[in-house]
Amino acid sequence: MALSREAYRALEDIVGPENISEEPAILDSYAFQWLAETIRPGQSKFMPRPEAAVLPGSTAEVQAIVKTCNRYKIKVKPYSTGWYFYCAPQTEGVIQLDMRRMDRILEIDERNMFAVVEPYVIAATLQAEVMKLGLNCNVTGAGASCSLLASATSYHGAGPSSIFGGENNQNLLSLEWVMPNGDILRTGSLGSGLGWFCGEGPGPSLRGIVRGMLGAKGGLGVFTKCALKLSPWPGPAELPVEGTVPAYNSPLPDNFRAYSLAFPSWENYFEAYYKIYDNEIGYIAHRQFSMLGTELGTAFWMLYNDPTKTLDDIEEFTQKPEIKKLTEEMKIAFQIVLAGLTPRHLEYQEKVLDEILADTGGWKVAAMSQPAMERFTLLYLIRLGHKNLNFVYNGGWLGTFMQAGPPDYVKGYRHIAEEVTEPYQKKGLLVDCGVDAMMGPVGSMGGGGNCALEQFGYYDVADKESTDAVVSWTKDCVKGAIDKGFVPGKGSHYLAMGMTREQRQSSYASAPWLGMYRWQRKIKGIIDPNDIGDELYPTLDEPGK
Amino acid sequence: MALEDYRADCVSCSRCSYCKWIPFDHVKSWRFSRACPSIEYSKFQAYSLGGRLSVALSLMEGRSGYSEALKDIVWKCQTDGACDVADKICRYNIEGLEVLHELRFRLVEEGQTLPRHMAVIDNLRKEHNTMLKPKAGRGKWAEGLDVKDLTREKAEVVFHAGCRFSYDAELHNIPRTALTLLHKAGVDIGIMGKGEMCCGGRVYDMGYREQFTECARNNIRAWTKAGVKTVVTSCADGYHAFKRLYPELGANFEVLHTVEFIDRLIKEGKIKFKKAVPMTVTYHDPCHLGRRGEPYVPWQGKRKKIFGQIPVWEPPKPRYNGAWGVYQPPRDVLKAIPGLELVEMERIREYAWCCGAGGGVIDAYPDFSLWTAAERIEEAKSTGAEAIVGACPWCERNFMDAVKAKDEKIKVYDVIELVQRAI
Repeated sequence: MALSREAYRALEDIVGPENISEEPAILDSYAFQWLAETIRPGQSKFMPRPEAAVLPGSTAEVQAIVKTCNRYKIKVKPYSTGWYFYCAPQTEGVIQLDMRRMDRILEIDERNMFAVVEPYVIAATLQAEVMKLGLNCNVTGAGASCSLLASATSYHGAGPSSIFGGENNQNLLSLEWVMPNGDILRTGSLGSGLGWFCGEGPGPSLRGIVRGMLGAKGGLGVFTKCALKLSPWPGPAELPVEGTVPAYNSPLPDNFRAYSLAFPSWENYFEAYYKIYDNEIGYIAHRQFSMLGTELGTAFWMLYNDPTKTLDDIEEFTQKPEIKKLTEEMKIAFQIVLAGLTPRHLEYQEKVLDEILADTGGWKVAAMSQPAMERFTLLYLIRLGHKNLNFVYNGGWLGTFMQAGPPDYVKGYRHIAEEVTEPYQKKGLLVDCGVDAMMGPVGSMGGGGNCALEQFGYYDVADKESTDAVVSWTKDCVKGAIDKGFVPGKGSHYLAMGMTREQRQSSYASAPWLGMYRWQRKIKGIIDPNDIGDELYPTLDEPGK
Repeated sequence: MALEDYRADCVSCSRCSYCKWIPFDHVKSWRFSRACPSIEYSKFQAYSLGGRLSVALSLMEGRSGYSEALKDIVWKCQTDGACDVADKICRYNIEGLEVLHELRFRLVEEGQTLPRHMAVIDNLRKEHNTMLKPKAGRGKWAEGLDVKDLTREKAEVVFHAGCRFSYDAELHNIPRTALTLLHKAGVDIGIMGKGEMCCGGRVYDMGYREQFTECARNNIRAWTKAGVKTVVTSCADGYHAFKRLYPELGANFEVLHTVEFIDRLIKEGKIKFKKAVPMTVTYHDPCHLGRRGEPYVPWQGKRKKIFGQIPVWEPPKPRYNGAWGVYQPPRDVLKAIPGLELVEMERIREYAWCCGAGGGVIDAYPDFSLWTAAERIEEAKSTGAEAIVGACPWCERNFMDAVKAKDEKIKVYDVIELVQRAI
């Protein structure tokens, strides 16, 4: 269903001919998405091809585009950095808004500790700029490549530094929003003409409507600017970086420490979480290096730090006695970065951490505290510039469960994750990297109380059988969670992407939070009367309709 | 290899956008954080490495066919390799730059070419150069120099001037000085003069594999006949061709860029500086000397899967990710010059921003080429340097043109020119 010439010309008049295209090759570069193969017919890497790709350069252009879409009844799908199958059109007949021309850091308010950004500002660039002023931003778990605005407005926004810097959904202050009906709404203090400093007022506080349950994923208009809360950065104005590509490392000053903390049991492990919350220590805390599997991950990290080696050498690394020993030691472990705002602050945190380890039987893994590995860990966790190593084995991974909550809740699900994963690994359908490939923040919500674990399954995206297996595995994961009384978790969102509208409605109707879907239908009915947003803003139809 | 051999590389792109940025660990500012001129200039996703992988897949699957738009996507790219370096921070099993080349080879084989490139190729076939000039003028740059003519004599070392240095009169001083320095240092060196043939590296990047092979075979034959053991060039494009591509055709020469040779001679005490050069400069890493200048490693292997679903190569495949390019020798030469201060730009070494001239862009898309150079000039200016110093005539020509077009004050030099001032 090509756009009518009239509609195309109207869009072209707004952005100029150089910023709109309906060339098939260009459109296919937008349709191509990670995870498409798990839901599309024939494991195609392509989501539905957009009718046009449009690159707006300002809020005024976005508003004019949205009004044009209302006039011609065209669906519109905006994305910022555009990673995930969520970002692509979900159906035919959609235009893709690529927001990359709106890429400016508009303001950094050092005193009030916030920054105002456009959609295409990524975490790495904002972090580099605010560090010059002694500030930092929370880098979302998806890493330095990702849009901060998208993480704050449209998805989850948690990351390793959330324990200190908060989740980005919480860090969202004032917001400029081109609603699906074409109106511009400025939330919080901005809505009263008082600047960007507050998301809740004086002025309209619409965080709940903007974000819904987990963000509208581009399904509810276009967020064009937002302010994000920043946190203190007690390090140098510029990250010092050494080392040979890819294993860069950062020789940070003495007020930084990075440790891998290991524990004799999961009980001890999660007890340490509580003690970390209670004592309010830690700048970054994340179960990170286990994401590549507790049987294989350690070998990989050692290999990665030798620039003369490649993935082809990993078998050799697994056979080294010292790596076998370290693999055993690291099985129940997480990483923590301590940053001292003053020397005494660091000294205090070190003492508290030592006490916590004494109380829980944990220890600092010596091999990971060697200067080179400590510097690697620091840079890895602060910048999150290597986050996509979860694609390293074969280009395919899928994270499921993502159980978030207090440690006592999250720890119960670990068994399910392992039980469901084991047969797939043993049959060789997923990478046999160890049944525990769980990763997640030690504490979110600005200091703890809430943690998460996400189980990773690695499949060869170029292998049909393996790709089929990861879908089957995800279904088993969701079923396993429900059977044991857990919420279905992230995997259910992925599976829902492949459902028909009817299947999705049925799924919403049986969800424990179906009231939310009803409320979202009412919200959408008011602000998206022509239904130009896609179904990733989930709504439950009225019975009988 | 054929494009279809890279299907898994295309399919397994994670669409993560790492290819658009310098390695994130090295991001020091918003302004100079981008890596890929192509996506920055053309904006649509298709103009990134990830985008081109999806375009290649779309073409292979018959979802899209040949069109002017497709040709624009394929060729509006310097093949500078910055995307490949950034991509390989997290990926061992995607050879992005190789896919870009295979895509070009495919289009050329299918006759889907650009007229401006065809003019270059036609001239190469007839006149043995990519500068649209007659063969007869090739050796003029060396007129008056007392140097062996290796079309008639023998020498251990051949100095290959390359097309740009041979025909760009404004740059002639650079190869003349390099050659003279090496000659005075006692090196048994000669040139092919007007018998010199294009290295073929630039047409390889443009997608003309056959023409490259023809150039390479001619050069290998001529050097072998002249008893050459070492090939020296001041051109980064030539260096890449000789160092990385020629060995695949059986060449077995030591290959040195003049900055490496001069660095060696300085360290051996054979070149001594006598004059101060009081100047603050910044050094631009040419792509073909830096990240694409890694030495060729002979390898043959086959794919297998380990741990269920990890595809690997047996024996391990050499990894070209920019780690082992030529970065330090030019810096050491500059640092050895009395009075000269070297200040660094934000994007350097394996993650340097391209000059804009490569991959046939200077021929087919001059505006894009100049825009890319102007971006680099802005970055050089931000350091406070009085001059940007390079080690490749293509970079220097593009910078000079950008400086002129923008009426900038910053000077453009080759490393050799500053060495000459200090002697």
